[in-house]
Amino acid sequence: MKLFPVFTALGAVGIAVGHWLTFEVAPMERTMRAAQRIFYFHVPSAWLTYIGFILCFGGSIAYLYNRKAKADAFALAAAEVGLLFGLIVVTTGPLWAKAAWGVWWVWEPRLTSMALLMLIFAAYWVLRTYGGRGEGVRRFAAVLAVFGAPNILFVHDAIRRFGGAQHPDEVVKSGLTNDMRVVLYPSLFALLIVFGLLLHLRYRAHRDQLTVRAIRRRLARLGA
Amino acid sequence: MSDQTSYLGVVKAVLLKDLRIELRSKETLATMGLFGLVMTFVLAFGFTADPATNRKVIPGALWTALLFAGVLGVGRTFAREAKDDAFTAMILSPAPRSAILLAKMVVNLLLSLSIVALVTPLFAVILQVDLTGELAGILGLLFLGATGFAVVGTPLAVMAVNARFAEVLLPMVVFPMVTPVLIGGVSGTAVLLGLVFAPDGLAPWVQGMVAFDVAFGVGALFLFEKMVTE
Repeated sequence: MKLFPVFTALGAVGIAVGHWLTFEVAPMERTMRAAQRIFYFHVPSAWLTYIGFILCFGGSIAYLYNRKAKADAFALAAAEVGLLFGLIVVTTGPLWAKAAWGVWWVWEPRLTSMALLMLIFAAYWVLRTYGGRGEGVRRFAAVLAVFGAPNILFVHDAIRRFGGAQHPDEVVKSGLTNDMRVVLYPSLFALLIVFGLLLHLRYRAHRDQLTVRAIRRRLARLGA
Repeated sequence: MSDQTSYLGVVKAVLLKDLRIELRSKETLATMGLFGLVMTFVLAFGFTADPATNRKVIPGALWTALLFAGVLGVGRTFAREAKDDAFTAMILSPAPRSAILLAKMVVNLLLSLSIVALVTPLFAVILQVDLTGELAGILGLLFLGATGFAVVGTPLAVMAVNARFAEVLLPMVVFPMVTPVLIGGVSGTAVLLGLVFAPDGLAPWVQGMVAFDVAFGVGALFLFEKMVTE
C-alpha cells in the first residue's frame, strides 16, 4: 500500500483540526489572553526543531563512520526540515514574547540557545548550498553538525548562569490544564506528520540528485 | 632527534616544525598582530567614553578582538601544508592523525595567546582602564577561552579547506560554535572587574569553560581519525 498519500491526507486533516482546536476549542488563558494560543504551534515546532537537528547529528555521525551517501542525504534533509520548523519557532516566539512580556527578546536560556542552534545550522545549510558538492564538503558539514548539536547544551548552561527572564514554558507546563492538553497533543501530532513528510521528500530529493549525477557521469564517460 | 614515532613525539615534531617556520617568517604572527591592533583601535573608537564606562566595555572589546584575530590564525592552520599537497603526505604517514591535530591546536593556542599578550595591555592603555589588579585572572580566562577557540576552530579549519568560500564560511561556523566560551569569558571578566553581582564568584564560569575545552578537545581528537581521509 502506498503510505505517502495516506500520510499526506492525515497531515492535511491534522493541521486543519489543529487550527480549529487552537482557535475554537482551546481555553482563553487568564493572563496572556489570545496570544497564548501561539503556544499550540510554537511549542510543537520547537520540539520538532530539536528532533530535526538531533537526526542531522545522528546522520552525520553515521556518515563520518560509514561514508554512505545515504547517511549524508538524511542528515542534510533533517537539517533542512529542522531549520524550517526553527523558523516557525523564532517567528512565533518574539510575537508571543511581545504579548506576554512586552518585549520582543530577552536573554533567556531557551531563546538564546535556539537562536544559536539556528545560526549553526544556518551555517550548515549555507555550506551545503554554496560551499560545493564534493566529498570534503560533506565531511566538513558532518563535523559541523556533530560539533554543533551538543554545543547547545553548553550554550544553554552558559546563558542560564548569565541570568535572565523565565521562559513562559516553565509556567505553562505546571499550569497546563487538561483542555490545553487536548489541543497541544493533536497539534503536535499533526506537525509531526508534516515533519515526517517533508523529511521523506527532502531525503528522496537528495538521493535522486545523487542518482542523476551518477547517471550523468556515466553518460559523459560513455560519450567520451 | 627525539623519538618521532611515539604519539608525543609526533606532536612535538609537528609543533616544533610549525613554530620554527613561524618564528622565521613571522607571517601569521605579523598579520594577526596587526589585525589585533586594528581591531583594538576600531573597538576603542566605537566604544570609548569616560573611564567608568570604558571599564564596563573592556570585557566585550577584549573578547571580540581575541575572537576576530583568532579566526585569522585558525584559518591558516594548514596553509603551509596546502602547498605540494603536503597535507595528504602528512595524513598518509603512519603518524597518528590526532597527534597532528593536537600539535596544530597548540600552535593556534600559542598564536592566540601572543595576540592576547599584545592586545590586552593596549586596550588597558587606550581605554584608560587599570587592569593591574585583575590581570592574572583575566589572562587565565583568556587562556581558557583561547583553548576553547583552538580546540573547536582547528578541526573546523582543517575541514573548511574543502569548501568554496572557505575564508568566509569559517568565521560564520566558528563564532556561534564558541559562544559558550565567549559568554563564560566575558562574564568572568566582568566578575573580575566587579561589574556584576556574582555571589558564586568566578567558579561557575571557569567550570563551564573548562568543561567546554575538555569536551570539545577530547571529542575532536577522538573524531579526527574519521574526519580526514586520504
